[in-house]
Amino acid sequence: MADSFEPKIVAFLCNWCAYTGADLAGTSRIQYPPNVRIIRLMCSGSVDSTYVLKPLLDGADGVLIGGCHPGDCHYQSGNYKARRRVVALKEILKSAGYDEDRVWLRWISASEGQLFAQTVTEMTNAIKEKGPNPMRQKWAV
Amino acid sequence: MRREPVGAVLVLGGGVSGMRAAVDLAEAGLRVYLVENRPWLGGRVAQLGYMFPTHDCVLCRGTSDHGYGCTRPSISPAFMDHNVHPNIEILTNTDLINLAGYAGDFTVTLRHRPTYVNAQRCINCGLCEGVCPVPLPSPFQVGMSARKAVYKMAPRALPDTYVVDKVPRCETCRRCETVCPTGAINLEEEEIERDLQVSAIILSLGYALSDPTEYEELGFGRFPNVIHSMQYERLASRSGPTEGVVMRPSDGKLPERIAWLQCVGSRDEKHPYCSSICCMYATKEAMLAKERTGNVHCQIFMMDERAFNKEFNAYYQQAQEEFGVEYTRCRISMVLEDPETHDLILRYPDEEGNFVEGRFDMVVLSVGALPPDGSRDLARLLGIELNPYGFCQTDKFAPLETSRPGIYVCGTFSSPKEIAETILDAAGAAGDVMRLLSDQVGERAFGREYPFLAEPGTLPPERDVDGEEPRIGVFVCRCYPSIAGIVDTDAVAEFAAGLPGVVHVETTDYACLEEGQALIKQTIEAQNLNRLVVAACSHRTHESLFQRIAREVGLNPYLVEVANIREHCAWSHMDDPRGATRTAKELVRLSVARAGLAEPVHRQAIEPTRGALVIGGGVSGMTAALNIADAGYDVMLVERQPGLGGNLQHIYYVVEGDNPQRLLRDLVNRVLGHQRIDVLTSSEVVSHEGSVGAFRSTVRTPGGEIPIEHGVTIVATGGQECRDEVYLLGQDERVVTSLDLEDIITHRPQQIENLKEVVFIQCVRPPGGVKYCSRTCCTNTMKNAARIKLLNPNCRVVVLYKDIITYGFREQYYTEARQRGVLFVRYDEEHMPQVRVDDEGELEVVAWEPSLKQEIVMHPGLLALSMAIQPSEGTERLAHILDVPLSSEGFFLESHLKMRPMDFAREGIFLCGMAHYPRFIEECITNAQAAAGRAITILATPKMYIGGVVSVVDQSKCVGCLTCVRTCPFDIPEVRYEDVGVGEIKGAAWIDPALCTGCGTCTGECPAKAIQLTAYRDDQILRLPLGAWGERVLS
Ligand code: FES
Repeated sequence: MADSFEPKIVAFLCNWCAYTGADLAGTSRIQYPPNVRIIRLMCSGSVDSTYVLKPLLDGADGVLIGGCHPGDCHYQSGNYKARRRVVALKEILKSAGYDEDRVWLRWISASEGQLFAQTVTEMTNAIKEKGPNPMRQKWAV
Repeated sequence: MRREPVGAVLVLGGGVSGMRAAVDLAEAGLRVYLVENRPWLGGRVAQLGYMFPTHDCVLCRGTSDHGYGCTRPSISPAFMDHNVHPNIEILTNTDLINLAGYAGDFTVTLRHRPTYVNAQRCINCGLCEGVCPVPLPSPFQVGMSARKAVYKMAPRALPDTYVVDKVPRCETCRRCETVCPTGAINLEEEEIERDLQVSAIILSLGYALSDPTEYEELGFGRFPNVIHSMQYERLASRSGPTEGVVMRPSDGKLPERIAWLQCVGSRDEKHPYCSSICCMYATKEAMLAKERTGNVHCQIFMMDERAFNKEFNAYYQQAQEEFGVEYTRCRISMVLEDPETHDLILRYPDEEGNFVEGRFDMVVLSVGALPPDGSRDLARLLGIELNPYGFCQTDKFAPLETSRPGIYVCGTFSSPKEIAETILDAAGAAGDVMRLLSDQVGERAFGREYPFLAEPGTLPPERDVDGEEPRIGVFVCRCYPSIAGIVDTDAVAEFAAGLPGVVHVETTDYACLEEGQALIKQTIEAQNLNRLVVAACSHRTHESLFQRIAREVGLNPYLVEVANIREHCAWSHMDDPRGATRTAKELVRLSVARAGLAEPVHRQAIEPTRGALVIGGGVSGMTAALNIADAGYDVMLVERQPGLGGNLQHIYYVVEGDNPQRLLRDLVNRVLGHQRIDVLTSSEVVSHEGSVGAFRSTVRTPGGEIPIEHGVTIVATGGQECRDEVYLLGQDERVVTSLDLEDIITHRPQQIENLKEVVFIQCVRPPGGVKYCSRTCCTNTMKNAARIKLLNPNCRVVVLYKDIITYGFREQYYTEARQRGVLFVRYDEEHMPQVRVDDEGELEVVAWEPSLKQEIVMHPGLLALSMAIQPSEGTERLAHILDVPLSSEGFFLESHLKMRPMDFAREGIFLCGMAHYPRFIEECITNAQAAAGRAITILATPKMYIGGVVSVVDQSKCVGCLTCVRTCPFDIPEVRYEDVGVGEIKGAAWIDPALCTGCGTCTGECPAKAIQLTAYRDDQILRLPLGAWGERVLS
């Protein structure tokens, strides 16, 4: 039953922009599907590749990384490092035969509550279409 | 009988400048009353979406865990509701109604107008607003949208509370009172008057917008599509009435052609001064429009483009070249409207000088700055003088003092200025006050041991939880109706009870109110909890509160976890209670797991070295040194030249008429005579190591090298007039620089008396040099031209210029020069003036006259060049020694152009004067006092705390690969040869905990996983149940 599939998305949000943007979505009562669990980190630059792989192997259906817009990172360039890392990780996922589109990296500023809500909505829909993440079963030998 | 000095400061006005001043004073250990007449802090800046030239949304810029920096109320940790500095008392909706006494001992009477809402009990659920039947225009949105009688300025405001703007209808309606779940509203609240004893007062009243309806011919108020710039700011802001989509008021159409008309309410008969900010904000607004919709045509109609600060010129260039913003030199005198389409019609000259008609969808009037509302009455009440324009009167050489001792001024109330300068003013005024109250500085200062602020000595000893199994207590806040109205909080609590490590679960009505806080504290003690999870609202607003509560009963604050089930859950899933409950459970599950993995974090205390090193002995360096020394700390002043004074030695008069040589003598005498200042002349700093509070430097003096230890460093190395060979400078003695000319006028005035013609060329820079405005040259030319006319009225004086930059009240000297008959001829890059010696040996200057469209030939007896001001020699070397960056123009680069203009990103090093950018004497003084004030906040700290949430290297795993060295945005990690890495091999990474900012970027990159960020260690993330949810949650 594709309809009853509720994607599980883990969101790593940086403290300064993306987390605060998600906050503003709430304060402004902008609605989005309840499929995302937010974990706050100081900067998107600290998102290690394993932080992305572990949830996917554990059964999450998608991972969202939210950081400040280019040039806005509280630590100047952490978000560029995140971008570089995510690009590489996606390459690896792809070459290992996995769907790299389950990992999203997005820039969301503290004043973009609307954008956060929209991103979660889009991601939830996209993953609903893909169906449950197969990685878990493949690895659970 | 004389009373003891009281040592408190009243800051009047809670915009950026007031907040900035309050934070610095509080940090220096002084008590502050921050008084604002509106219901919330933030002032004008709270209404701006973006700042020029950085375009960053500034929500976090400048902040740091140390709690200073960005002073936007909504976001600054220094002003978070539950984290306001204990030395600051915020009094909003309050007016000053009386003042008595004198400097050091004022009595002020304040009147607090009721807001009818108890801020301590308001939980921002918004029910009151929902039931309120009275719509009113929203002043925050400049009237472009409506709000209710009970309202909040913006979703994030400080104090974080609703207020009632009581109207007659409220008396009978009272629905808000009834609906409020915490009983926070009381429509019977009355006015309160209160007397306070304060030692000093800082005025930071801001400015008012000039009224565009004064200019009927421009159509504001008559034509719907003519708006003013503040309305445009709101339309373009993401928190604006249209969420950042700029639409035409008449039909909601997206504009395709927008015009900005500059100088509305500035540089005219009624308002003869320049408002200083409009050129830049119009450029910003046009660039933003282009960014959003690429094909929109943006045209700015202006007289001069005044881009006179750091990086502004590059910004202006970028607007033209990259963004295609069009600039037309013309002051539009009339706006016409096509009544059918409501399009607007402007007449202006095209590039050839022929008048054309242009149609625009929208016209934005760049309104200027007026003195703040009510400032006349207030000035009378305070007994301070205003200048002829109605702004606060200050003295050229004491720019932050009003005419009444003990009362200081900062920000736009003394003259229109942009944010960076407002911040400098504010920090400077605070610095000035620290000097007045030197006997009180440091009295109430304390270090930042924890992520929240608490009065020193009020906390019990910390409980040692080492080796204990986690005993987690979970509190689920019902926050009815915000959370419990959507989420089944009982189900969440039941779910939490089954999670590993949880020994106690409770739902509470309002965890943040006094009752809730008391309950949590009692339970921690009664149940002997060693971890705390509060499922309530956002970390951003409440984490520090819960951390403090836990610490107050002995738990380390890092053993507290907050699950945000309000903003991130209930409020975002209001139409899906089942989904919201599931999310709430999952968020609690994550928080409980994180709490189980949490460990106490401690910061290490060091005592700062209580002395300052000031590099540079010009007006800035001397002023900074005196300010710090007067506040009671030792200063080492290092000057490269044999004597003190710097550029001030060569300035003999200023346009305002004051005597700079007297200032020079005064400063030098006071510096040399001060018992706390040591002066080293003919000396240079050759090394600089360590970190804030504990720097070690070496100074090379004629008598050898001396080591010094200091807590802070101030860079005041100044600038210099460029003397490159341009336009025959150095080859023909009739060609001089503006400093040379000043020397001639002062010492050999007879030379001027015989001249028939003098030509000035503005904006002369060495070939290939970076373009930027040196800021002071136009005004200097006005002063020299006026002197020449005074000495020799028949001398023809011609000024060849690009843009005349006489910003602020300096505009009057431009007007005066024209009145005295000085001729101004504009040139541009295509028509550069030509200079040669003709066959008769006369100096010949050829320039293009744009309005006559022909060349003019002049034979001046003297050609004065306004040469660019460059960073002083050796700036690059010093930047290297201090390990700080330089700007594109070659000046020192501060931490943030707008919010932290006097701080370097490296803590404990400050910047002032022309080392930052060219500026006037009064600006150097302000800047020096700002740097001094910031330095004193560190020198006054009893203990500095380093470490905490920082990256830590496990050297036994380090292979010395240098990845962290390359990754760190701040160049902090180093590979030290003496440290031993993996396999006993020499050379391992080391990260100085005093410098690390704790972003964790290196931890993500380290291939050996040798670096871990405290409190965000890999295992603290990877051992969370990241993907395992779904089972059991909905049962
Ligand atoms: S702080 Fe937001 S991405 Fe670095």
